[in-house]
Amino acid sequence: MIKTADLFSIAKTGVNASGRLLSTTSNNIANINTEGYVRERTEFKSELTGGVNIGFTDRVLNQFAMNQLRRDITSVGEAQAFFDRAEGLDNVLASEANSISGAITRFFASVQTAADDATNITSRDSVLGQAQGLVNRINTLGDFMTVKEREVEQQIDDSVNNANALIGQIGNLNKAIQVIGNSSNVDTPSALMNERDLAIRKLAEFMSIETRTSPNSDLGLVVNLTSGESLVLADGTFNVLALDGEPDFTSAQLRLSTNYAPPKANTTLNVQEEKMGGALGGLFRYREQILEPAQRDLGKLSTALADAFNSQNRQGMDLDQQLGGNIFELPGFRGINYPDNSDLSLGVKGRFTEGAGGDITNSDYQLEVLTSPTGSPPTFDVQVSALNSDGTAQLDESGTPITQVLNVSAQAGTYNAMMGGIEIEFASGAAYGVGDQFLFQPLRKAANDLSLATTRGEDLAFAKPLRVDTNAANLGDATIRSVTVSNTTIDNSFGNIQASGFNGAGGIQSASETPATVGAPASVLFTSATEFQVLDNAVPPNIITTVSGVTDMNNLLQQAKDNGASPPWPTEFAALQDYPGYDFSLEGIPKPGDSFDISFNTNGLADNRNAVELAGLQQEDTVRQSIGSNGNKATFNETYANIVGSIGAQTANGKIELAASQVLQTQSADWFESTSGVSLDEEAANLIQFQQSYAAAARILTTAQELFNTILSAAR
Amino acid sequence: MRVTTNLIYNQNLRNIDANQGNLVDIQQQLATGKKLLRPSDDPVGAAQVIRLTEELDKITQYQRNNDLTTNSLELQETALRSINDVVNRARVLTVQSGNGILTTQDRKAIGAEIEQIRNQVLDLMNTRNASGEYVFAGYQSSSQAFEFNPGATGDKVKFVGDDGENQIQISDSVKIQSTSSGKSIFQEVFARLNFDVTAQSPGVELDTARIDQQGSFDNFHKQNFDPVNAANNQYRFDVLAGNQVSVTNIGTGSVVSTQDFESGEPFRFAGMEFNFTASPGDSLEINLNRPEKKNLAETLNDMFVALTSESISEADFVKAIDNTLVGLDNGLEKMSLESSSIGARLNIAQSIRESNLDSEVTLQAARSSIEDVDYAKASTEFAKQETALQAAFQSFPRVSNLSLFNYIN
Repeated sequence: MIKTADLFSIAKTGVNASGRLLSTTSNNIANINTEGYVRERTEFKSELTGGVNIGFTDRVLNQFAMNQLRRDITSVGEAQAFFDRAEGLDNVLASEANSISGAITRFFASVQTAADDATNITSRDSVLGQAQGLVNRINTLGDFMTVKEREVEQQIDDSVNNANALIGQIGNLNKAIQVIGNSSNVDTPSALMNERDLAIRKLAEFMSIETRTSPNSDLGLVVNLTSGESLVLADGTFNVLALDGEPDFTSAQLRLSTNYAPPKANTTLNVQEEKMGGALGGLFRYREQILEPAQRDLGKLSTALADAFNSQNRQGMDLDQQLGGNIFELPGFRGINYPDNSDLSLGVKGRFTEGAGGDITNSDYQLEVLTSPTGSPPTFDVQVSALNSDGTAQLDESGTPITQVLNVSAQAGTYNAMMGGIEIEFASGAAYGVGDQFLFQPLRKAANDLSLATTRGEDLAFAKPLRVDTNAANLGDATIRSVTVSNTTIDNSFGNIQASGFNGAGGIQSASETPATVGAPASVLFTSATEFQVLDNAVPPNIITTVSGVTDMNNLLQQAKDNGASPPWPTEFAALQDYPGYDFSLEGIPKPGDSFDISFNTNGLADNRNAVELAGLQQEDTVRQSIGSNGNKATFNETYANIVGSIGAQTANGKIELAASQVLQTQSADWFESTSGVSLDEEAANLIQFQQSYAAAARILTTAQELFNTILSAAR
Repeated sequence: MRVTTNLIYNQNLRNIDANQGNLVDIQQQLATGKKLLRPSDDPVGAAQVIRLTEELDKITQYQRNNDLTTNSLELQETALRSINDVVNRARVLTVQSGNGILTTQDRKAIGAEIEQIRNQVLDLMNTRNASGEYVFAGYQSSSQAFEFNPGATGDKVKFVGDDGENQIQISDSVKIQSTSSGKSIFQEVFARLNFDVTAQSPGVELDTARIDQQGSFDNFHKQNFDPVNAANNQYRFDVLAGNQVSVTNIGTGSVVSTQDFESGEPFRFAGMEFNFTASPGDSLEINLNRPEKKNLAETLNDMFVALTSESISEADFVKAIDNTLVGLDNGLEKMSLESSSIGARLNIAQSIRESNLDSEVTLQAARSSIEDVDYAKASTEFAKQETALQAAFQSFPRVSNLSLFNYIN
């Protein structure tokens, strides 16, 4: 038996050990409310020579539980960020006061009321009042979304700053831990490691990350994005996130950038925001899945509504007996320069094509100049590509990107029509370079900037500009069944291919007002039951054309265009798109000599035909719903209901996702806590236990002393 | 599982939080009466509620349109009924005035009454609605539909409006005509069809040339009148040897008919009765007059003029009575067509109103089932959550008070 230690040294190690245990326990109790604190335990081995060693204090940690907790924190972070934002939009849409649907219904109801009595100024003013209300609702919601957009940008910015601070902190802690870990051979630097784990958990709130222990088997930790890019290396160097907004600086994209000391150039790397996870991923997902589509849907709804109403109003006659004008003012938009363009001062302007509101889709467009401008005014080819709101190419039914090549002319005031119901204007004679690119976001702010073009109720064109009267001397029983007006564009020179038969001076064109030898059709005279002449308004009238073999009394002027002979329908008229822009149908049988007189609806103020058609827009399928070539359409309210439904559905999903990830996080937090958390009861028991072992070890000392005294007294 | 101190606190806190959240939500449902507080509560339902609300609002508007249309149609109906009443009185007076024993004074008295009736009819044809518009003037409703100018040559009562007719939407798919032009109701009335003797050879001594059977003549006129080629409306009666007369259309030259003829004895052709003396080789030409259109006021005015004229011949007076009776009958017929059309439209308006009411009830029920709260269910749920929260509140302090430290002295 080897006996190298005496009772005194055994007692000393025992007292020391119990002292250490008591200090560990006290430390646990003291840190019970410290965030990120992991309970500690001190373990001992008995010495070969007797007694106990000085012991080793370590954290009680389940690495799996901690990793699981970190991942669950990421998913809660993402779900929370997504849901918090989405909920804001959801709540606004829930409010009755902000409902665009109610405003649309009230607006059209006021049109109906006004249609019941077309000359009533009060009800006309009430239509404009409701129109203003509708515009306000749309503006408010548009502005709200813009505010939300800025908020998200701000929040992304803050999150990136916070995340970068945490990344830096983790890198620094990595270094410190390695230094201490290498210099001390006793305990692990658990306080620093707690701090590092806490920083990692906080970083996990912002993005999805993975950790690995250092390959050098020191205490360093490697932190990566789940998608693989490194954030923190074992030696403490780290990369930071950067925001970049090219070409649209209001819609930032994420990049990862190295963080070298100055002489060495930094490199950047694109990051897929939607795969980031965490709060950042949630914010990007909210922006790309809810906010941006909703902005464009709302813009599309407001633009289509305003354009449809304007178009119909232009086809009527207002209370001042003039052809109707626009009631709503649609905002224009500008192309955003790409940073690599040859001349950043060159702009491209855009606006919505009048009457093409039904073609508008919620696409953004990228325009690229294909050829150098030549000629005067300069013309060149451009390619237009439709983009989704997140900047990806829009695909058609067969999966190919939707593009269009146009030959455009660069001249102020010349708008070049392109797909999607918009037209663009290039600066006069400007030198656009091949490869110059512009980004158009026609609908992004369309809802914010919609306004009324008039405040006068008289400008509402409730009457049709035209009436057809049966001649008083008619003997037959034919009566007017319907009168249609499809075009009221005024251009007596026919320079505009859209010119109509209206002369712009409260009448229809006479022979001297058209480039042809005859005027616009002003009456139809039946020479037999199956033959009629189309006459202008000269005295005596000129015969424009004669139609024979008539069997059908519908759209007589269309028949004149198609079948007119001796003389045929004038070529000047035939060259225009829609001339004269009106037509009528009869019912009953006319007698020879019967005539039907077409005239401007002078004094026809009680006419409500156009008002009924304006009101009818409410239930017409007007707003384009898909980008496909079939472009199925829906009514205004349906479109709004779809916006609300889609935001509601995404918010509801977000809510479920949040609840589910919270449950998971609770579970893993409980798991982690149950391993690493401090239990006061346990520590109380330990306190008693270690106090007793301390007393026992101390007792060994007194025993040893007594034994020593016994020996001494025996020898005395 | 190892239970740590923080675990106990966290769990309790979490449960209380969740309970409070639920309680607030249910309380809000109870307070607002809606279970659909925000679109995310039921996205499909929210979209449906928007559509249903639109439908309901539209129905409200359609019912208002329906009221206005009905009012407007009833106003027209009243005007037509009043005209009908007074015109019938005028018809009686006209028949009465044909009584040969009446003196000029009597005729004048009748004439005075006819004049009143004419004024009344004219007023009614210029009926105005509550906002002062002339309902029968077409689109130009701010000026009168008919203007009366006794000094005018030709028609004294002129229609100065237009053919305009308005329609009003009373359901998603039904529009009904809310106004009619006075032109179609009052102006498009044919006067009595007639003919004139235009020429006669010197040997002819004409006694009578009149319409004996208006019906036969109307048929003949309608079938043969040529509005384009005037010559085709002229007929020549040639007296032939052998007591015959041939009727030739001058325009076409074709012989229409050959009839027995005895000089000085009446003969009839196509509802016309002629009586003249002539010998073979003589001829008589007539012309079918172009159909004229006369409104009721015009017809009444003609009658008034005939009744008050000092110098009118008896034959012309008889003709005037005939003209008036036919004119009034044609006018009344036209109006009765319009009346029945208005009646039909009122019926449609009524039945649409009822079906709108039915849809309103259905739509309201549908909307309510989506968005309205079930109070029984919600209050039960509220009580349940309340109990759970109370239990959590009560148990929390007791659990947290359990600590070993309390037992160490």
